[in-house]
Amino acid sequence: MENIKLIINFLGQLLPAINITLIVSVSSIILGSLLGLLLAAARLSESVVLRVLASVYVSVVRATPAIIMIFVVYYGMPMLFNDWFHTNIDGWNRMYFVIIALTVLFSAPVSEIMRSAYESIAKGQMEAGLMVGMTPFQTLYRIILPQAFVVALPNFANSVINLLKEGALTFTIGVVDMVAKAQMIVANNSGGYAWQTYCALALIYWVISLAIDKGVSQVEKSYQAKRKTIAV
Amino acid sequence: MLTIEGLKKSYAGNDILKGISIDVNKGDVISIIGPSGSGKTTLLRTMTTLEEADGGHLTFAGVDKDFEKLTGKEVNTIRRNVGFVFQNYNLFNNKTALQNITEGLIVARKVKKSEAEKIALKALERVGLTDRKNHYPSQLSGGQQQRVGIARAIALNPEVIFFDEPTSALDPELVGEVLKVMQDLASSGTTMVVVTHQMSFARDVSNRVIFMADGHIVEQGAPKAIFEKPSEQRTKKFLTDILANV
Repeated sequence: MENIKLIINFLGQLLPAINITLIVSVSSIILGSLLGLLLAAARLSESVVLRVLASVYVSVVRATPAIIMIFVVYYGMPMLFNDWFHTNIDGWNRMYFVIIALTVLFSAPVSEIMRSAYESIAKGQMEAGLMVGMTPFQTLYRIILPQAFVVALPNFANSVINLLKEGALTFTIGVVDMVAKAQMIVANNSGGYAWQTYCALALIYWVISLAIDKGVSQVEKSYQAKRKTIAV
Repeated sequence: MLTIEGLKKSYAGNDILKGISIDVNKGDVISIIGPSGSGKTTLLRTMTTLEEADGGHLTFAGVDKDFEKLTGKEVNTIRRNVGFVFQNYNLFNNKTALQNITEGLIVARKVKKSEAEKIALKALERVGLTDRKNHYPSQLSGGQQQRVGIARAIALNPEVIFFDEPTSALDPELVGEVLKVMQDLASSGTTMVVVTHQMSFARDVSNRVIFMADGHIVEQGAPKAIFEKPSEQRTKKFLTDILANV
């Protein structure tokens, strides 16, 4: 009983830091999806150069552990900017580095998900669109993407949850997110109540991923329901 | 109305079409028959610009040009004037039967929605599927899907409709309903070019049969002539083989 009270107490202390976690995650998801979309387009393009570049990028990024990616971006980018653009970005908010690292990490699986979803919608429907006089873009936008979206959704949700968890490494470069907050709490208690603190933290992550799962299956259901009601 | 001369196409060094010439006149119902791999489907796909030809000349819908020199605009003109019925139907799976037909009218032809629906309903009536208008493709049988595919093609009122083995993907008991629709179209004067393995259709419905083998037109003529008195040995052999299996 005592432990549960403690965990609830820690929850209250951790939650204010959730906005950092959310800002980092949501920005990385949006930017990573856009980058992933470009990569998927490159991998599906007719240009061999684009296809090769994109697949090398994806294969390298997929093999890079999150913590290494964060460090590479955090230590590497300021030097790069200094050398190439003669700009000093040491003063940047550290959150930006995390967002960039996670964006790069997220773009790789997302590009794979988008590509396979696109390919799962038969090439035939694109041809059918062309033969009724629509342009490739009109067919893509009105016929292929709405179907690819539904196909991609479950895998996309998985990647989002992965990203959320990788985001827990944000604290390693000194951004005060929920994990950093938890460490502070433990430190303030001289190392005491550590497992209760981290349990509270795990609970928060669990609830967020639960919400993502629910949201996705809700969207899926609404697509299926739409089909059923119209047909009868 | 549509003339192609010397149409050539090769894939990876293999010549699939070795110089095909065809004349399609208004009201023609042409059946293209021949063994698998003879280039029938490729012929249809290159004629309709779904695939790029490597050589040959096209005269159709005001375009009079070599295939390789077609501009994007001319490709659009050609596509606007042909209908295409696919072997695997290729219906838009996120659209209802009715929407499958209105989509091209509204998006490509800029027809008003109410007008497009009127045209689409008429097309569905012709293929006998008015009561399935709000069904999605996944809720229709193969035969019904293919009939929607045909309705989608006729709604655009093209000069000529190409059928690429329209019954090959169907269960045998569903072939009849699709052939019936095609027969009705033929008798109403629709210009049709049909790649088919249905010899009954070739013999009884079309007014010209083209026999293809190895990327060539071996022989063409009236169905009676081809089926009863083929002049080429290859045609004879093909017909004997295929009719023996019916």
